[in-house]
Amino acid sequence: MRLVLHNLCSIHPALRGHPVDLFKYGALALQRAGHASPVQTETDHNGLESTADIEWLSQGLTLLDVLDSNRVTEDGAEAVALTYANSKAGWVVKRRLQRGESADWLLQSEVGWLALEVSGMIDGDALARLKEKKKQVARCTLPADLLAIVVAFDRPLIMAGSV
Amino acid sequence: MTKTASITLTEDELDTLVSIAIRRAELLDDTGSPAANDAWYEVMLYEERLAAITAPGDITGGVARVGAVRAALAAAQRKEAARLASQYLSEEAFPPERRTAIERVFQEDRERLARRFPALAKSGRLAELDEWRATTSRNPRVFPLAA
Repeated sequence: MRLVLHNLCSIHPALRGHPVDLFKYGALALQRAGHASPVQTETDHNGLESTADIEWLSQGLTLLDVLDSNRVTEDGAEAVALTYANSKAGWVVKRRLQRGESADWLLQSEVGWLALEVSGMIDGDALARLKEKKKQVARCTLPADLLAIVVAFDRPLIMAGSV
Repeated sequence: MTKTASITLTEDELDTLVSIAIRRAELLDDTGSPAANDAWYEVMLYEERLAAITAPGDITGGVARVGAVRAALAAAQRKEAARLASQYLSEEAFPPERRTAIERVFQEDRERLARRFPALAKSGRLAELDEWRATTSRNPRVFPLAA
């Protein structure tokens, strides 16, 4: 599987026009962790382990001096997760959800709807974070499939879990 | 003479606008910015327009309707929130799950207010906040009652 971050707006047209280029945050979060494009990432989708290659256009690291570190991590994770969700099962962004819906994004595909919760971390216990995020998205009452994705940038690792 | 034109936006365009507005409002909320209320008001407007062009029984229509009410409360527009809720709850095709979601939004708002104003909550006077807000929104000065 190839995850091409700079194609984010092509695969998710709803992201066009956003003031924040999520793919740049994805690139910065990966570069901050010492990676260069392309990098192989481990993936774990409901316990099924595999690998994928993440590609991006290199960004100037001086941007990190003026950007909020947590935002780089969270928005970077959204870039990776939204690319992954599309590559894995063809999900396309419909819109962002308000926090009260217990998920970050509503996506659609030919088979239906997906409520997606995303979290990013520089390092740490990704499995514990995934459990926490699965609990959160389980509270989403929308008639949609529910999925949580955690992106750990140090290894890197993408962990996804359905509810 | 000034002419005003009504701009018709497509659902996709409104989805993009509401997505941007939600992110902005949540960031402003997180930083405790006084601009957060205005940002949530903008979210409310987009959600309301999405609700107007989507069916109440569709997932997108349900999200927009609950979103409009939630954003109105976040913008401290409680009367508007009540009006929107009443309008959406009167739609027959509005799903039970979304009706419950609207009730939950109001419950969460009451709990949030009670945490913020424990003395008022304890004495059962939280409703006075609406009156106070209505006064200050009509007369946005530092000492509205003396004006």
